[in-house]
Amino acid sequence: MARIDLDQLAHSYDRSGTRPAYAVYPFTHAWEDGETYALLGPSGCGKTTLLNIMSGIVHPSEGRVRFDGVDVTELPTARRNIAQVFQFPVIYRTMSVFENLAFPLRCRQLPQREIEQRVGEVAELLNLSGQLQRSALRLSSDAKQLISLGRGLVRNDVAAILLDEPLTVIDPQLKFELRRKLKEVNRRYRLTLIYVTHDQTEAMTLANKVVVMNQGRIVQIGTPQELFERPEDAFVGYFIGSPAMNMLECRLAEGGVDASGLHIAFPGADKRGIKVGAKLAFGVRPEYVAITDAPAADAIPAVLVDLKSVGAFRIATLGIGAHRVKAKMRADQPIPVDRMFVRFTDGRRLLYADDRLVAVA
Amino acid sequence: MSALYRILKYAAILLWSAFVIAPFLWALTTSFKTANGITGGPTYIPWLQYQPSLEGWRLLFRSGGGGIQIGGPYLDSLIVTISASLISLVLGTLAAYGLSRFTFRAGFVRNADITFFFISQRIMPPVVLAIPFFLMLQFLGLLDTKFGLIIVYIALLMPIAVWVMVDFFNTVPRELDESAMLDGCSPFETFWRVILPNSKPGLVVAGLFCLIFGWNDFFFAFTLTFTQTQLLPVAIVALNSSVTPWWSLSAAALVSVAPLVAVAFVLESYLSRGNLAGAIR
Amino acid sequence: MSLVATELTRRVDGVVHLDSVSCVLERGRFYVVVGPTLSGKTSLLHALAGLDAPDIGTITFDGADLAAVPVWSRSVSMVYQQFINYPHLTVYDNIAFPLRRRRLAHAEIESRVRAIAETVSLTPFLERLPGALSGGQQQRVALARSLVKGSDLLLLDEPLINLDYKLREQLREEFLNIFSAQSRSILVYTTAEPNEALLFGAEVLVMHEGRLLQVGSAQSVYARPATATVARIFSDPPMNLVPGSLDDAALRLGDDVRLPRPRHFGPLPPGPYVFGIHPGDIAPNPSGIAAEVELAEISGSETFLHVHHAEMRLVAHLSGVYAYALGENVQIALDGAKLFAFTPDGELAAAPTSGG
Repeated sequence: MARIDLDQLAHSYDRSGTRPAYAVYPFTHAWEDGETYALLGPSGCGKTTLLNIMSGIVHPSEGRVRFDGVDVTELPTARRNIAQVFQFPVIYRTMSVFENLAFPLRCRQLPQREIEQRVGEVAELLNLSGQLQRSALRLSSDAKQLISLGRGLVRNDVAAILLDEPLTVIDPQLKFELRRKLKEVNRRYRLTLIYVTHDQTEAMTLANKVVVMNQGRIVQIGTPQELFERPEDAFVGYFIGSPAMNMLECRLAEGGVDASGLHIAFPGADKRGIKVGAKLAFGVRPEYVAITDAPAADAIPAVLVDLKSVGAFRIATLGIGAHRVKAKMRADQPIPVDRMFVRFTDGRRLLYADDRLVAVA
Repeated sequence: MSALYRILKYAAILLWSAFVIAPFLWALTTSFKTANGITGGPTYIPWLQYQPSLEGWRLLFRSGGGGIQIGGPYLDSLIVTISASLISLVLGTLAAYGLSRFTFRAGFVRNADITFFFISQRIMPPVVLAIPFFLMLQFLGLLDTKFGLIIVYIALLMPIAVWVMVDFFNTVPRELDESAMLDGCSPFETFWRVILPNSKPGLVVAGLFCLIFGWNDFFFAFTLTFTQTQLLPVAIVALNSSVTPWWSLSAAALVSVAPLVAVAFVLESYLSRGNLAGAIR
Repeated sequence: MSLVATELTRRVDGVVHLDSVSCVLERGRFYVVVGPTLSGKTSLLHALAGLDAPDIGTITFDGADLAAVPVWSRSVSMVYQQFINYPHLTVYDNIAFPLRRRRLAHAEIESRVRAIAETVSLTPFLERLPGALSGGQQQRVALARSLVKGSDLLLLDEPLINLDYKLREQLREEFLNIFSAQSRSILVYTTAEPNEALLFGAEVLVMHEGRLLQVGSAQSVYARPATATVARIFSDPPMNLVPGSLDDAALRLGDDVRLPRPRHFGPLPPGPYVFGIHPGDIAPNPSGIAAEVELAEISGSETFLHVHHAEMRLVAHLSGVYAYALGENVQIALDGAKLFAFTPDGELAAAPTSGG
């Protein structure tokens, strides 16, 4: 496996105008060897373009692609040593499981003994050992997808494995097993894996590092926990998690922020690092909005607008000042009847300037 | 590597284009030649290599002296082909919609069997059908008439229309029919107001096939007509005499191929347009 | 004023689609049919719409049998999972289509189309073709077309399943607002997601293998599922079910977990039971039983922690995002007060009093 460097990379499909209409804006990023990534974003965010640039299907209009320092920008897909797993499992219907896995090695004319050894290893890893002589056609969809992955694993020259929405067409009942298998393969083999998906569950479950893209830009790279607790970009707060993060437009005030007349304590919020005229917003996740009946210095009076029960949890819509915020809590947590206040958890209050995170308190 | 690939790619495309266009070019140059121009070996450039002449073209519009008066057969061919194609398309589309949407049962016969029955009409070689058709038309007194030929052509063309349209309707989601019925359409209204307007790509393909097969038929036109009715392919063959008149044959070939080329150009944009994109997604 | 379905049964090529389904649907109410794929949800809607005639059974509306009334004469509309619109007509003409079939006056059509387009935020798109719209907008067109008629029966067959989850969230809220204004129709909405039914707070019909298993308010079905099958269907993730036994003093789960006998079990006789607990009611806790992590599935702001203790497999639904490694050892707390008890053949024997 290899480290993949994207250096000043950008792509625009339409270069007719004076300014290129970027599908992917210029950026520099390194995919570390042996790390598991997910490229996450809504449709049209540029993730598929980026994937195609790495696999060599699309030639970037700017920048270089390097595998372990070697410039591969001009190389076609076939010479990049990339293995790819697609949305629909690719299996050779007439071949046995063994022959399916052996196919890339046969194409490279490896000796039979080596083929048997490598296929044996990969089959062992993917729990396919017992099924090697079966026809690949009869397998369930998740096993077929494992074979697609296995064909990438048998080669020892693969720089990275790119997976394009690999679980979208898998039956929901089989998804859990496949996710677990993929996760285990990651851990044991230290592969450079890049998942491309629009599904936050897929991305956050399978990857150690999630790269969130929106409108052609990478807006945050972080662990699932970081995306949840400290969204670097307002889009991440909106896109990751349900209900989305509460965002209240505000301006700086003494000891905190002022959201159209509502004072919210925000220790340490000041002008430093904030551009003049930037649009400010206070953000807090519904999980970090606590409802109490006790007035306190930093507690804000609230009224209950709506309360929905979702199994073991409840989602309350609260009116504070002129704003609505959502709070998520356990279903067995009591909700005060007459007087109600909200508090925001320390360390989970976020301040955004022009949609970028500038302060945490 | 990629430059060489590009060169090879364009070379292959050019070669193939030349292969496809060459016969037309040959026909075009030949149609302006005379006997002298042809026997002198391969020549391509008018005035320099051969003296162009309109003799070949004149023969098409002259009677006597090897001429064939192409106007009459041309009109007959148009009338027969277009009528037969239209009727086949209308009947075939209705039949196909029924076969695609409703379940028919007669003994062991199911929808698939009926569809196959239609298609099986085309499996038999024309020679087998010629005598029965001849006898039937004779019995009906329709031998050597356009009407008789139209009936025979419908029998030949409708299976094509049914075949293409059943396939097409099967790709149209049933939910579209259901929605129309829920919105208050009777089954025929559903077909007329919703399904048909969204079937242009299928209709174009089916219609094109009908026109091509109908226009190009020689065998039945030859066996079922004699003097009163003469279709274009038969008329062209009549040009032939002891000396093959390559010039007028070439001109006739170009004239006969022209309407199909025109139709293909007009309908080409429909063929590539996915009119159902909004329904299926 | 109601629609009554009696013993609807339908088989297609020997496969049971509906198995003796009976229900009463009242005007002005909102019903959510919950069941996994192929549970018969769509078959039920088709039967109610009159698109498929049941082999056995009757449907009456306000007392009149509907069997002889063809689909196009009924007052029914339907929204499909696929975004079904008339591709050759503009959004305006799509919405006007059912009204034109009724030969309404031109001005009446115009005002109704414009009003409904405003409700579903389609006004700027009226002149476009459906193919030029996004999936969410296409589904709004389909919804508008079904609402504009003011049908007695409005059927929605998993209308949000083909949209991405953010759009689903948004449309779900809009739907709820729109539906609450439909006071004279019967609304039937199908979904595979119990949380959707809980969010709508609607009357729930739980289906499985063509049979109607339970009817009741979403909260009551969640709190007191009639059978273990309902408990699994009407919980996301499905309720944890563990075979065990009960005696006068204690409760045994699997091979070696003993808990004091929960008080809400009351006079339940001793014997073998299947115990259930909602994934949201278990969580890692240092005083809990030792378990090994199989996988932590993370979905945005939630973590589904799959663990096993010997043969006992459990899923914990945690609010928030937590990192757990494969094979990590954790302690999982099982609160006896949250346990459900089912008889070995799956009937509910006891449920937590608080309602889970």
